[in-house]
Amino acid sequence: MTGRSTESPRAMRTSARDRAGGLRYAVAFVLAIAALATLSLYRETMGFPMFYLVLLTTMLFWVTQATSWNILSGYSGYFSFGQAAYVGVGAYTTAVLYGRHQINFYLTLVVSAALCAVLALAVGALAFRLRSLRGEIFALLTLAVPFILAALARIRPEIDGGQGVVVPIPPFPAELGRFQDFLYLINLLVAGAAVAVAFGMQQSRAGWALAAIRDAEDVAEGLGVATFRYKLQALVTSGVIGGVGGSVFALQIGFVAVESVFNLTIPLFVIVMSVLGGRSHWFGPVIGVAFIVLLQDRLTASGLGDWQLIALGVVLAGLVIIAPDGLYARLRARPVPVLATFALVTAALWIPDLPAEPLDAILAGMLAATAVALWRPRRRGAVPQTRAAETSAAVTDADAGTPAVTAADASAVARPSDAAKPATPATEPGEVLVECRGVARYFGGVRALEDVTLTIREGELVGLVGPNGSGKTTLVGLLSGNLRPTRGSIRVAGHEITGLPPHRVAHVGVARTYQIPRPFASMTVRDNVAMAIMFGRSPEPLAAARRDAQRHLEVVGLDALADVYPSALNLHQRQLLEMARALATDPKLLLLDEALAGLNPAEIDNAVEVLRRIHRSGVTIVIVEHLLRVVNQLATRIIVLDRGTCLADGDPRAVMSDPAVIQAYLGKRAHA
Amino acid sequence: MITLQAALAGALIGGLYALMAAGVSVTWGVLRIINLAHFGMILLSAYLTFQLVTSWGMDPILTLVVTVPGMFVLGGAIQWAYDRLGISELNSLLLSFGLLILMVQAVSIVWSADFQRMHESANPYATGSVTVGGLVFPITTLLAFGFAVSLIAGAHVALQRTFLGRALRACAEDPAVAAAFGIDHRRIGTLLGAAAGATAAVAGMLFALANALTPASAFEWFGTVFAVVILGGIGHLVGTLAAGVLVGMVSGVVSVVLSPAAAPFVLFSAIVLALLLRPQGLFATRGAA
Amino acid sequence: MLEIRDLDAFYGDAQALWNVSLDVHSGETVSIIGTNGAGKTTLVNSIAGIHRSRRGRIAIDGVDVTGVPAHRVCEHGVAIVPEGRRVFPHMSVYDNLCLGAYRAGARPSYRDTLNEVYELFPRLAQRRDQRAGSLSGGEQQMLAIGRAMMARPRLLLLDEPSLGLAPVMVDAVFEAIEAISARDVAVLLVEQDVERALDISSRAYLLAEGRVVAGDTAEALRRSDEVRRSVLGL
Repeated sequence: MTGRSTESPRAMRTSARDRAGGLRYAVAFVLAIAALATLSLYRETMGFPMFYLVLLTTMLFWVTQATSWNILSGYSGYFSFGQAAYVGVGAYTTAVLYGRHQINFYLTLVVSAALCAVLALAVGALAFRLRSLRGEIFALLTLAVPFILAALARIRPEIDGGQGVVVPIPPFPAELGRFQDFLYLINLLVAGAAVAVAFGMQQSRAGWALAAIRDAEDVAEGLGVATFRYKLQALVTSGVIGGVGGSVFALQIGFVAVESVFNLTIPLFVIVMSVLGGRSHWFGPVIGVAFIVLLQDRLTASGLGDWQLIALGVVLAGLVIIAPDGLYARLRARPVPVLATFALVTAALWIPDLPAEPLDAILAGMLAATAVALWRPRRRGAVPQTRAAETSAAVTDADAGTPAVTAADASAVARPSDAAKPATPATEPGEVLVECRGVARYFGGVRALEDVTLTIREGELVGLVGPNGSGKTTLVGLLSGNLRPTRGSIRVAGHEITGLPPHRVAHVGVARTYQIPRPFASMTVRDNVAMAIMFGRSPEPLAAARRDAQRHLEVVGLDALADVYPSALNLHQRQLLEMARALATDPKLLLLDEALAGLNPAEIDNAVEVLRRIHRSGVTIVIVEHLLRVVNQLATRIIVLDRGTCLADGDPRAVMSDPAVIQAYLGKRAHA
Repeated sequence: MITLQAALAGALIGGLYALMAAGVSVTWGVLRIINLAHFGMILLSAYLTFQLVTSWGMDPILTLVVTVPGMFVLGGAIQWAYDRLGISELNSLLLSFGLLILMVQAVSIVWSADFQRMHESANPYATGSVTVGGLVFPITTLLAFGFAVSLIAGAHVALQRTFLGRALRACAEDPAVAAAFGIDHRRIGTLLGAAAGATAAVAGMLFALANALTPASAFEWFGTVFAVVILGGIGHLVGTLAAGVLVGMVSGVVSVVLSPAAAPFVLFSAIVLALLLRPQGLFATRGAA
Repeated sequence: MLEIRDLDAFYGDAQALWNVSLDVHSGETVSIIGTNGAGKTTLVNSIAGIHRSRRGRIAIDGVDVTGVPAHRVCEHGVAIVPEGRRVFPHMSVYDNLCLGAYRAGARPSYRDTLNEVYELFPRLAQRRDQRAGSLSGGEQQMLAIGRAMMARPRLLLLDEPSLGLAPVMVDAVFEAIEAISARDVAVLLVEQDVERALDISSRAYLLAEGRVVAGDTAEALRRSDEVRRSVLGL
């Protein structure tokens, strides 16, 4: 998928460990907030300089904004350049309502949240509906929104009118100290809430959906993920957080003018901070913010303030080239060397009081740690060549040992016969499952399918064959809902699926695999399958989904590789993963589009065995295949397409000796 | 009458925006790279024009002799670097954004953030104007439009009639097959980047003729130029010219009829609508050029 | 003219071709037949330089072109008519044809070549200013062949020219191929339509699951049962 960024697997580890660690995180989080709060509440007692508090306040503001950006753009891959819109709306809401009309300050926070939510809803409802919207167009669209709002603010005197709005200091409890303390604490609360929301979202169902959208949106759709809803959810959440942060910002600057709140530097900063720290993880923005704000502060302090933006530009350019997934991923990979470097360098400079200002020591430590983190390129896991053998062994072992593992099936569990023998149906074909009537599909002037009428019954294993260009993949696309018929109707399990979006068709009971496997790169094998269960016809929560995923992996023989990432699998294993994932949606109909492409003979035999097991478990299968010898062995029925129409349909032996079929394959004058 | 004046003046200025947009548009359409550094090149040329005129007393148009080759080389080098790094479409947005920030800051350091303007004594075109009927057209505006139209027309003809132009269009549609017929993607890309740089040099000079310069100008062009690129259809030169004229006219009329501040509002709302209703651009007829 | 030895080709970690070796002599027409997925398109794209991930030796007129980058392969006298035609849809017929003559060796004489192409395909002359994407399938096929001829190749690669065409158009296309062959251009033809391919070729290779399983004169293959069994999976 072009146009949207993807994250490497290491950057987003969502293993079982994280889940159990959830409670630990919550505790650590509360402690961290409390510790940060004491810096202000007990500032005078501790002798903590006000200057540091101001710096921390700035960091907290950016943590809020960067986290807000990350929730949409990092998690889902839809880059937004419009962060300034939220800051602007939030700031002006507070400025106008509180600054000009003396409405309760805290109430204005609620109003900004509401306004930003409406704005986000409007943008999302329009932008995400458009199927063909590419990532870059979305990015430019979001760039336009702040311009519009800024112009609006300038024109309307009720808002700004070109004069700016003064925001006085609101009343706050005197125990908190000075205004700066109050500002700090309120920023701490907002930033803390933002990070908590980001954390929660990442672990939740929505987080998984967004990760799938980032990795492969149309595949996610096919598994039953309601992509529109989740993207909108992320956008609105992002807006609300950004807006509240903007309101607090109004308080901080005291005077709100269009240039200061609708500034292009805002999206620049949040993008650099998030990209540096690591998008797609909730902690990434925090790291990025700490680094950039500290860097900026030190540059200004040493008189190099003009170079701030240059440094930022260099960082952004460098990141895109060297480390697009950000620092967090590198930190996660080698925590000890990086943290040790930081501690050592900082201590080495701080303790002897080398720079007059401890912050310089900290910055030096961060820079050194960053260098270490970026130093050596990550080693790629060697693609295991012998795995295929292991996989087949796993299949036959599992099959021999635990026949009960396959899904409930009333008919006898037949032992698999020798792969070379032709298939016998495990059950008699049952009810009508798929009904196509007069289906046609045109692509401009090309008639890919013309007047196709056929029925498929439960329990069949149908081979869909035909010369190149005969319309096989088109038919699969129509059955799975990826394409709409130009004419005709398609019914699956009694439902009319013509015109339904792919995720609805998935819920009716259709699953498909792709010729080129498209796993979710940032999730383990088990989690890939778990995704299908979480969003399938009978959704389950994560833990249960992971358990059930194990079952499906056993059917295809990948259970030994459950904790591995897709990048470490070979082609055959990735195809098996495709099958397991499709199977996990509990389909009635499984569509396989050239699932055997590129395999060697041993792998093909293994795949055939797996398909037999799947078929025995009660799934109706339609397999598009070029390898006729395989189809002859496997299928109970063969449908031959030629130039978009159905040429023959029936028993494999009969069909393959049909003169018309032979002619289609070999040419006009060939004889049987 | 005032409205007509505003509309026509706007249309002429729109030519300049079209010229700025042409470089970005064609590199996006053919090479799938969104090069924000293009704005940096326009900015640099504008400042260079200012400097050459102010320090060396050169005629502003003659400064092109220096700026065009300079930006030609810079544009080509940047494009070559993008290709070398194998940058994707979205990453090019980020990377070039970084480059743009660098360039704007560099300009700010060298020339300060204060407004700079060529002195009237040095700039012979500053005050002249032509009167037709009751309408007054400043020379700078006419020059801008003239250059813009000639360059865009020339580029369009080159794209349509020359082998190189065909190669560029083929690359936009199917780079793999184009390569099979001898088209070197990297070389073509570098050449295109260089040509875009040259147009940036001219645009910069034209902007400096009539306006005060400040580093932030680069960001001010953003919105309008992308509006023109998208309305005109990515990669379509003639569409870009038409869109530029349209955008200029609308801005001009809205400024006079409503208020100057209202212009961006109307404009961008129109862009958003256009984008959602007709993503390929108002004037595009499919495909590049 | 064309010599391939021990060619392996890959898509990522999946191997598509194993140890493919074949020859095409000047002036010959050689066919590659076999079912889909056999690797025919991969083979042809590897020769043209479009498919880069490969091992082995490809030589044209004795010159080893295995490591040559895609845009330089055509300079050695190879031109391709890709599977699915792949004309440049938004460019005119005339532009498509001129593009074919882009390479330095073909450009000086492009006007003469153009006339030759128009002679062979009068339909294209009629539609010279029409957008290639609006042509019918058969006309696009002719355009793709004409474009390849504009490169003045000594070896012409054709990938499934009959795909998606009505039988009448297929006749016309194959006549054109024979006419081209008569001008002493070597032709390597990849085809699903075994009959027609063997009709116009002197020799042929049968490709199955990425390997060459038979290579013989067209006559011999036509008589043998091997082709039928391989293609029908029996």
